Amino acid sequence: MTQQDDLGSAKVLAELVAPERRALRRAAVLSGLAALIWPLQAALVAGALAELLTDAAPLWSHVAGFALLGVLRAVLNHWAEGIAFTAGLRVTSQCRAAIVVHEATRSDGPAAGPIAALAAEKLDALMPYVSRYAPAKARVMVVPGLILALAFWHSWAVGVIFLITGPLIPVFMALIGWAAQAASQRQMAEIASLNDLLVERLQALLDIRLLGAGAAVVNSFAEAADRLRAQTMAVLRVAFLSSAVLELFAAIGVAMVAVYVGFSLLGLLGFGSYATPLTPAAGIFLLMLAPEFYQPLRDLSAAWHDRAAALAVAVEWDEWHLRVDPPLLGQGAVAARLAGPADIVATGLKVRLGPHLLTLPDFSLAAGETLALLGPSGAGKTTLLRLLAGMLQPEAGQIQVAGQPLNDQTADGWRAHLGWMPQQPHFLNASLRHNLSLGRPGDLTPVLRAVTMQDVVAGLPQGLTTRLGEGGGGLSGGEARRLTLARALHARPDVLLADEPTADLDAATAEAVTAGLLTLAASGCSLIIATHDEALAARMHRVIRLEALV
Amino acid sequence: MSALWQVFQLIWRDQRTPLLRGAVLGVVVLLAGVALLGLSGWFITAAAAAGMAGVGVSFDVFRPSASVRFLALGRTVARYGERVLTHDATLRAFAALRVRLLQSCTRAPYDRLSRLRGPQMLNRLIADIDALDGLPLRLILPLIAGITTHLLTFAVLWALAGLTIAATLALGFVGGGAVVLIWAGRVGFAPSRRAELAAQAFRSRFIDLVQARGDLAVYGQLAVQKSAVLAADSRRQSARLAQDRVERRAGLALSCLGTGLATVALALGMALAQRGQLSPALAAMGFFAALALLETVSPLRRAVAELGRMTLAARRVVQGLSAPALQSGRSHAATALRFDAVSHRRPGAARPSLHPLSFTLHPGETLALAGPSGAGKSTALLLAAGLLHPSSGTIWLGDHPLSGWSEVALRAQLTLIPQRAALMAGSIRQALTLAAPEADDASLWAALQAVALDQVICTKGGLDAQLGPRGAGLSGGEARRLSIARALLRAPAILLLDEPTEGLDTAIARDVLHGIRRYLPQAAILTASHRPVELDWADIVRMIP
Repeated sequence: MTQQDDLGSAKVLAELVAPERRALRRAAVLSGLAALIWPLQAALVAGALAELLTDAAPLWSHVAGFALLGVLRAVLNHWAEGIAFTAGLRVTSQCRAAIVVHEATRSDGPAAGPIAALAAEKLDALMPYVSRYAPAKARVMVVPGLILALAFWHSWAVGVIFLITGPLIPVFMALIGWAAQAASQRQMAEIASLNDLLVERLQALLDIRLLGAGAAVVNSFAEAADRLRAQTMAVLRVAFLSSAVLELFAAIGVAMVAVYVGFSLLGLLGFGSYATPLTPAAGIFLLMLAPEFYQPLRDLSAAWHDRAAALAVAVEWDEWHLRVDPPLLGQGAVAARLAGPADIVATGLKVRLGPHLLTLPDFSLAAGETLALLGPSGAGKTTLLRLLAGMLQPEAGQIQVAGQPLNDQTADGWRAHLGWMPQQPHFLNASLRHNLSLGRPGDLTPVLRAVTMQDVVAGLPQGLTTRLGEGGGGLSGGEARRLTLARALHARPDVLLADEPTADLDAATAEAVTAGLLTLAASGCSLIIATHDEALAARMHRVIRLEALV
Repeated sequence: MSALWQVFQLIWRDQRTPLLRGAVLGVVVLLAGVALLGLSGWFITAAAAAGMAGVGVSFDVFRPSASVRFLALGRTVARYGERVLTHDATLRAFAALRVRLLQSCTRAPYDRLSRLRGPQMLNRLIADIDALDGLPLRLILPLIAGITTHLLTFAVLWALAGLTIAATLALGFVGGGAVVLIWAGRVGFAPSRRAELAAQAFRSRFIDLVQARGDLAVYGQLAVQKSAVLAADSRRQSARLAQDRVERRAGLALSCLGTGLATVALALGMALAQRGQLSPALAAMGFFAALALLETVSPLRRAVAELGRMTLAARRVVQGLSAPALQSGRSHAATALRFDAVSHRRPGAARPSLHPLSFTLHPGETLALAGPSGAGKSTALLLAAGLLHPSSGTIWLGDHPLSGWSEVALRAQLTLIPQRAALMAGSIRQALTLAAPEADDASLWAALQAVALDQVICTKGGLDAQLGPRGAGLSGGEARRLSIARALLRAPAILLLDEPTEGLDTAIARDVLHGIRRYLPQAAILTASHRPVELDWADIVRMIP
């Protein structure tokens, strides 16, 4: 990653966190206040222990004060963490909601796998950064400075120890941070490639078993899983090493303070403090402060690792965010059918198909007519169907449906007239019944009989409550196709849009599907069928031939 | 809970030695922390006392200060070692667990295998196992280390600072910690489980939304689906908030417990010192040890608050591992395939999926099962392939019942091409060598030629031409023929074909069928067919009602 990209992703990350800036500031203030309580507690304990060395009465008030301040510190921390966590949760949830809302309104988008991984899992990597970085930064601003001042107040020697060892921590943190970022990028790449490898293998497991290739596939997976383990360990090793190095610096600092304080108290060292020798109370106080001087720096370096992970997510979010896809028309919600006969008039349609601007022929279709769109692959047959369903907006021209222009306001009402047979069926992760009815009430038996699927469905393990694989796994291609016809029939459409309804089907099955379509047409439903199949096209009232792109 | 224990046992069995070493180092880290703080407190206070008494010169400073340095460095090194050991062991155990899950997945019953949803299964292999890393790393190992540390600290403190302080700290931390952690585990169980379920619902609904966007829009369900996805996320959000509240309250309680016990240790020490029963330095040691002992309970709260999620994941993993073992048995010579009154009925199904069927198929013969859809043609093939098991009757392969064949031997002799053969992204060569890893280019071309696909592959760029996901780049008919070629490379004695020419023109279909027979002249071929071209090609046609 270059410096330029780094700045860019930092900016994206800052923008994502911006709405929660105020909450995070509150969390930072509370967390800073909590950290400031420790010096008070330390002073009380130091006083009480020092008094023990004299014959004076024990300072019970100090003990009580230590307990009360401890509880106060815990409460403040609890409060600060709560605010920070809520803020982190809101940031991720807002990103997630933005992705969902946008994906539900665009006409086409990135593949489901990566975008689902971003929305469902990777965004969670923002949480630790959002909730920990700002409070850790606040503590670094306040605590070490204060402890340094307190140290100098009692003993310049201890102050000097802090002053020398403290800044080493951020320097090492930055050095190790770079290594950590590179390692975590390699790890993310390894995860992505393992996921890609797996998702297809999993869908082909039956074939793999039948071909006796199970062992080979499992072995190659084992190698990939082990590579991922090695990459993950590389990331963890850097993180552990960095925290060990920081701990080491802190330990050396604390040990130096302890030795200095010990020798001073024994009267063996005559320098470094203003009251010679150092008083017992001051000595104990300084020793209790020493670890707390380094702790905020170590916290911040841990949060620095969180930041590296969050930056990687911010880059991906930005890539998604910058994708421009034309929106689909309307909301895709249930609506009352547009009044009037389901006529279609298309004029002057132009649509962008990759690099080409495609001009589509004008045509009109009265309710009840049937139309075939013939043409080679890439001529725009599917695109025209998508335009007619309002799933895509043309660059120019307009479509009149039921006497009104097809636009955001009319699209949902128009689609209430439609039935739809896609070329690749997709089955939702729900029962077959839900997949066929899609929320419309009514008995499914007649439509299953109409497509001669009632026996096949009855033979499924759980009949209509079976969950099929996403591409219709458990059925043949022809059977899955016939189910999409059954689904269309169940919606009682006035217009059926069918994309290659007979592609890849043998003659008998194709004939069964065609018969189903013609029966539907005979009941007064318009058909618009995109097809390569001249025989099927010949049975429509009209044919439009689309030219291939050159 | 029992599922969690089972998963831990799997991890333990796989990585016993490194985990044991890690646990020992974990104890060292905690003990060194307690000793470091306790010793420093004692050292400073004792030094101050000696200084005030004017005997500073005779005070032995070197041993304590060397110990402080040794403990500080030792703790750092031990912590690094402990982390690397336990994380590496856990990751290794998880990699092995993933492999076992995938293995058991390949053995899953046919009904589950054929309808497997990739994203769900992927989630199980990746996310579910990741969710379990807290089990060894944040729950069981720290628990063992914490309890051991308390036992040892108790003994040492008893000897140095007396029974009262030692017992107060041990009982206070173990008892108080247990109360808080058990409370957090109970109260946090439901929200953490809900959060996980909601996260899964979000994932699967969102994938549906993206993949079926067009279908959903046409049927007016896109808005409904969008709300369902968002609803899953808001459920997840509120469950996460509830879970975090439990975790933070447990943190607050433990923090107060730590402060309280440190206070009690300080007060007891001061009281004893005042009565002259304890030196001020040892009183300080008790207090500082108490401060360090909080480390033994505090990190456990996070693992405890995610018990619900871990249990859910563990249950799915254990369930995933429970697929039946692959059929074991012997290898025999496959001469003929014989069905002896074989029928099949799925549990709970209204009618049988195959009525009793008998036939014998000899090498070199082709038998086509014909009949209306739903009659059980595909079921008969699945039974013959050993993917389903007969409800009654026996299938004989050679002189032995099918159930006496080992999976490996069976697959070496018999190959089924299901109706929807799956192709994967990769080159044509990779697609073919999946079936025959040793095959050379000439044999690959021969198989392609048998299914009349050699010309097509030539124009696409030869064996190294790349296919997209699910074999994208080939038409339906080409994909079908490639999957047949792949199966031919296994050179099976018994070939089972489920509607082999679905989606092919009659002319090509005829070429492909004759090509198959030419390629495997001695094979016994059983097909499920309804196309005339396939029925004409077969030697025997058997109608099943």
